[in-house]
Amino acid sequence: MEIVGECIHIISPKVKNAMAKGDKGYIQELALRQAKAGAQVLELNIGPQKKAGPEVMEWMVDAIQEVVDLPLSLDTTNLAAMEAGLKRARKRAIVNSASAAPERLESMPPLAAKYNARLIALTMGKNIPPSAEARIEIAMETLMPRILEVGLSLEDVYFDPLILTVCGMQQYVMQGVETVRFLKQIAEPPPKTIVGLSNVSNGAPHEGRSLINRTYLVMLMAAGLDAAIADPLDPRLWEFIRLVEERDDSTPVGRLLLRLYDAVASMGELSPDDVDMSDPEQVAIYKTVQILENKVIYADSYLRV
Amino acid sequence: MAEKVEIPVQKWSGRVREVTLGATKEEGGTRTRSVTVGGEATLPFLHFEGELPHPPRIAIEIQDKKPEEWSPLLLKAWEEVIDDPAAWAKKAEERGADLILLRLSLDDAQGEENTPEKAKSTVRRVLAATGLPLLIFGPGQVDKDNELLVAVAEEAAGERVVLGVCEEKNYRTIVAAALAHGHLVDSRTPMDVNLAKQLIILIHDMGLPLDRILMDPSTGALGYGIEYGYSVMERLRLAALHGDTMTQQPILVTPGEEAWRAKEAKVEEGIPEAWGDWEERAIMWETMTATALIEAGADVMVMRHPESVRLVKEAIDKLWVKEG
Repeated sequence: MEIVGECIHIISPKVKNAMAKGDKGYIQELALRQAKAGAQVLELNIGPQKKAGPEVMEWMVDAIQEVVDLPLSLDTTNLAAMEAGLKRARKRAIVNSASAAPERLESMPPLAAKYNARLIALTMGKNIPPSAEARIEIAMETLMPRILEVGLSLEDVYFDPLILTVCGMQQYVMQGVETVRFLKQIAEPPPKTIVGLSNVSNGAPHEGRSLINRTYLVMLMAAGLDAAIADPLDPRLWEFIRLVEERDDSTPVGRLLLRLYDAVASMGELSPDDVDMSDPEQVAIYKTVQILENKVIYADSYLRV
Repeated sequence: MAEKVEIPVQKWSGRVREVTLGATKEEGGTRTRSVTVGGEATLPFLHFEGELPHPPRIAIEIQDKKPEEWSPLLLKAWEEVIDDPAAWAKKAEERGADLILLRLSLDDAQGEENTPEKAKSTVRRVLAATGLPLLIFGPGQVDKDNELLVAVAEEAAGERVVLGVCEEKNYRTIVAAALAHGHLVDSRTPMDVNLAKQLIILIHDMGLPLDRILMDPSTGALGYGIEYGYSVMERLRLAALHGDTMTQQPILVTPGEEAWRAKEAKVEEGIPEAWGDWEERAIMWETMTATALIEAGADVMVMRHPESVRLVKEAIDKLWVKEG
């Protein structure tokens, strides 16, 4: 599992403030902490930056590259800013992102090709289609032809099925897992897949988000997920990844996660018999699977029921 | 030759809780009868599929003073009793109400502030005038709701009154009053399945048994978002039947309040002539809103016009046919 560190994001008030003030220190500290925690790529989301996009992007890329030597995933809808970042990046960058919406389909893939960057391609047009089938159709009929047309190789592309939140769009959460599963089957060799993992718990109380994120990640991994834009500063996320990747069945939680992984991999479901209901940690994971699978309606206090 | 058609039957793992409103003398109150709602083991009116022990019930909404902001049609319908909540309650019972919902106002008829003492007196008089179970809703301002509902909860101790409305920002005081005096509460949330379930959890966490909570997921009138309300109710009910315990509450909705807010019902002026007779249209607006909501799983419907109540009761009777 490749983790793209999500923390340098315009939506964080501290990041936004540091950008506005030109405070390199805070951005660099975030970059270092994520690198130390194991992030293999750093996401750099500067927002649309209508006024001074290229300058902001250059400043950010330079600041980060002063302290870490990781590839960057550049996230902005501002084309000039994207190009400025790509010029500056020392390691092979990721363009985040193209979609089937005409403007971004037109502009982003050639930019990735020109700078030998990788590309995240969202399986959406103007809106996110609810069904996995419709998202696959976008990948095959709109995104893939354009990617090949501009001279990118499919191996340079991550498809992103778009993750919807369990608090509000609960009935579509498993469509994310199914889209990953189908995406791995549309070409040979299978294309790479990525998700913005934390979206699944968007709107949930802060203290509950980690469990939702990492349980969902195990299910996505079972469907074949290759990478996630996620919070590398959450050690519990890494622990779930390790348990699954090493198939570590030495603990009850490890065994439960492997059962969950195997069930989803074979298009099945975790059964209550797989869970030791006297172990609160296992019960919490099981309840989280229940809300992710839309078996039980999500509520902020779902773990207390 | 007629083909025999096998009707597919869904096996549900869960069912809605039964909730009893009101208490008779034997049950510790003074009501002539109590009313139990809920208990459904299948979707509305599918008697062939599962048990449906109780039909949907109608509460007629009355107010502690003449509601000047109501449509003139409603004021006319209740003309003789509208200044006296006790007489209004009695009349509502005569016109077919299963339950009475008394709404307390901020001010009394003289324009002076409503007080706990005045509210208690109103409740005492209404309880004496009707034998039906009562629901009592506050005026909808946090401080005033708490002040008045705490007082009337004490006044009506033992009567298993439904106190409302509990909302996420204000439920603790009302729930505590219900706990102290043996009452029930109405758990109201904006149209959203997640919030509906969450508030039930929070109220239950305070120690109120689940068989004393009605779930009020809000609704909209015909033409004003009823489809959103319908979908939310439908999803909550399906979850309940699938065994999601914190959604297994009987559902209360307020089609009367919603329908009479719609301009199709409320006013006569500025309406195209093609819309036809005002009174007929207004009554149909409330009737159609309520009828749709019973199909979505409503257990208690709060309504306003006696003729709409008659029509909806007729519809329930026709749908409430158990074959075989």
